[in-house]
Amino acid sequence: MFPGIDGFHWTAAHVIFLSLFFAVVMTIVATVVSAVRRTARDFQTKRAIDFCWKADFAELPEPERRCRHELAGRVMSRTCDNAFDCRQCSKYSQFAVLPARGTVHSLGLDYPEDRFYHRGHTWVKLEEGGILTVGLDALAEHVIGQADSIKMPAIGSDIEINETAWRMKKNGNEIRVRAPIEGKVVGIGGPTDGWYLKISPRLSAQNPALLRHLLRGPEVYGWVSRELERLQVELREPNTPPSLADGGVLMPGLMDAVPEADWDSVLAETFLEV
Amino acid sequence: MASATLTDSRWIARGEERTSLSRFLLWLAPWTVLLALGVYAAGLCLYFGLNQTNLDNRFAFGLWIFLDLGVIALGAGAFFTGFLVYILKRAELRPILNTAVVVGFICYSGAVGILGIDVGQPLRFWFTFWHPNTHSMLTEVTFCITCYLLVLCLEYIPILLRNRQLRKVPSMLVFEHQLHKLVPVLAGVGTLLSFFHQGSLGGLYGVLRGRPFAFRQGLFIWPSTFFLFILSAIATGPSFLMLVTATVEKVTGRRLVPQEVFRRLAFISGVLLAIYVAAKSIDTLIWLNVTSPSVGFAPWQYYMYKPFGTPILFVEIVLLGLVPAFLLTYRKTAMRRGWLLTAAGLACAGVLLNRFVLTVQTLAVPTLPFDEFLQYAPSWQEVASFGGVTAYGVIVYSLSYRYLPMFASPKGENTHVSGD
Repeated sequence: MFPGIDGFHWTAAHVIFLSLFFAVVMTIVATVVSAVRRTARDFQTKRAIDFCWKADFAELPEPERRCRHELAGRVMSRTCDNAFDCRQCSKYSQFAVLPARGTVHSLGLDYPEDRFYHRGHTWVKLEEGGILTVGLDALAEHVIGQADSIKMPAIGSDIEINETAWRMKKNGNEIRVRAPIEGKVVGIGGPTDGWYLKISPRLSAQNPALLRHLLRGPEVYGWVSRELERLQVELREPNTPPSLADGGVLMPGLMDAVPEADWDSVLAETFLEV
Repeated sequence: MASATLTDSRWIARGEERTSLSRFLLWLAPWTVLLALGVYAAGLCLYFGLNQTNLDNRFAFGLWIFLDLGVIALGAGAFFTGFLVYILKRAELRPILNTAVVVGFICYSGAVGILGIDVGQPLRFWFTFWHPNTHSMLTEVTFCITCYLLVLCLEYIPILLRNRQLRKVPSMLVFEHQLHKLVPVLAGVGTLLSFFHQGSLGGLYGVLRGRPFAFRQGLFIWPSTFFLFILSAIATGPSFLMLVTATVEKVTGRRLVPQEVFRRLAFISGVLLAIYVAAKSIDTLIWLNVTSPSVGFAPWQYYMYKPFGTPILFVEIVLLGLVPAFLLTYRKTAMRRGWLLTAAGLACAGVLLNRFVLTVQTLAVPTLPFDEFLQYAPSWQEVASFGGVTAYGVIVYSLSYRYLPMFASPKGENTHVSGD
């Protein structure tokens, strides 16, 4: 194996064979070390969270990846290929100026117009002083009802967009709520406060790109309507064909009301999990 | 009273339909029993030694080596598919890549496991690396198979880390991504290693001067069997992949890969098989007319012992070689799934028969005037170990199919902007 070890001889066969062997072994080891180092570097440069989100986004079913402009009726059909990051979308400004054609009607849920909405069912509200308040939207609150436990991030911690902002447990299901915005956590709330996080954003409040990626106006109605339809289909009685109820509003505490449903899948789709 | 239902749906990729956990456990149960029996038999062999087998100094290669050679040949689909996809950029074969890696991993880990029992003395396994006999082809085989198993493990890890729960750990997902980006390097290394160990396994027989039935002339230091083993392995590896995938499709009742992938694999397999049959025929003719007479043996002498008569040669070259090569490449039969799978089955049977003949017939046929025709039947411990490896393969594949993205292509891969 090595010079000095019993059985090794300085012959061409030994040298060539063992050199080849060590070259192969070193290539394999170098490959693993390289993968580990690249992984560590991705975490140091905070690219890891972005990568994880993009990997998850790519696995989302097609109906969950519809473009905001389709939701607002500005275009007929369009799949988002920017992982919902309109700040990076070259088509954003082209479509944003088109008139919205979506029908706005009552959803039976409260979606105030002074807020911006993330597809992971959180809202963001710009407060005075440039601080952003983050909360769960009405549909998510109706679905979960009262959570069994909540695990919030520490004040002062940095949060990246689309990484898990906080975790909730309900009836044995873990719900990972994605952060709608990046920044430093400056306040922690909870269900009773009507909000969950206060975030000092990384971009300044004057920067038009700060909230560009979040839904607002007619986009919200288009999106929530589809989410409600999805919920109705997913929560139907087992072995019954899909059908949509005509009228009615979503009842609060849906997870308690329909415990037999496949909540693992429903929650995954609601909170953009794979 | 409400009863808690045992479920593992959280570990199964969303949107994938799998049978209930209870039915899955029921499916695994007999295989687990067989695996346990195999482990027990292997334990006996390791503890008491090879007296538990029917092997001896004259008949040193038996069922285990046949199994090793067989699964290593059939597992060649892993390196060859990786070579086609990553080195030759045949992207259309991507849907079969993950299952090729898993099949390769099962075959090679099973082979190494059985070799470990056969060699024995597990506490001294490192001797083969520390004190290698560089003049032995077996040393090259040992080194290459060990390294290649390591490569297969590294190729398997990215598939493993895409499990629905494991991917929730960010470091796992990022590591999977980074490792996956380096897989082409591993594919290249795997191709090099496989080329040499497949060849050396064949060369091992070709250099047996004391066994004229196997002895072959060749090119430089390599006997012809070196090249024939490589050719036969890369020819039948894709066929085995087709068989495995078709079996899983039959069991699950789902179409897992596009038919086009099957046809492409069939064509590759068929063309390579035709080349192999041609090479094997030429090699056999040279051996019959030149090599064997030169060492004092008339060819008929090898085939006078039942059941190793000349029909076995016909079956190996024509029935399990030429016929499947034709069926796999002829457009009309290749378009029909039934013919395609029949041909793939025949091709796999052909390579197994070839390995059987070289392992068993080589040792059974007498070579010295006072020799007798040797007969060998494996002991129950050998058979049980064999069964254990088979069960191990079924269990690993079943678990992989249930919990890992074996055939699913990423939903984002083909995204398109439809409204532009």
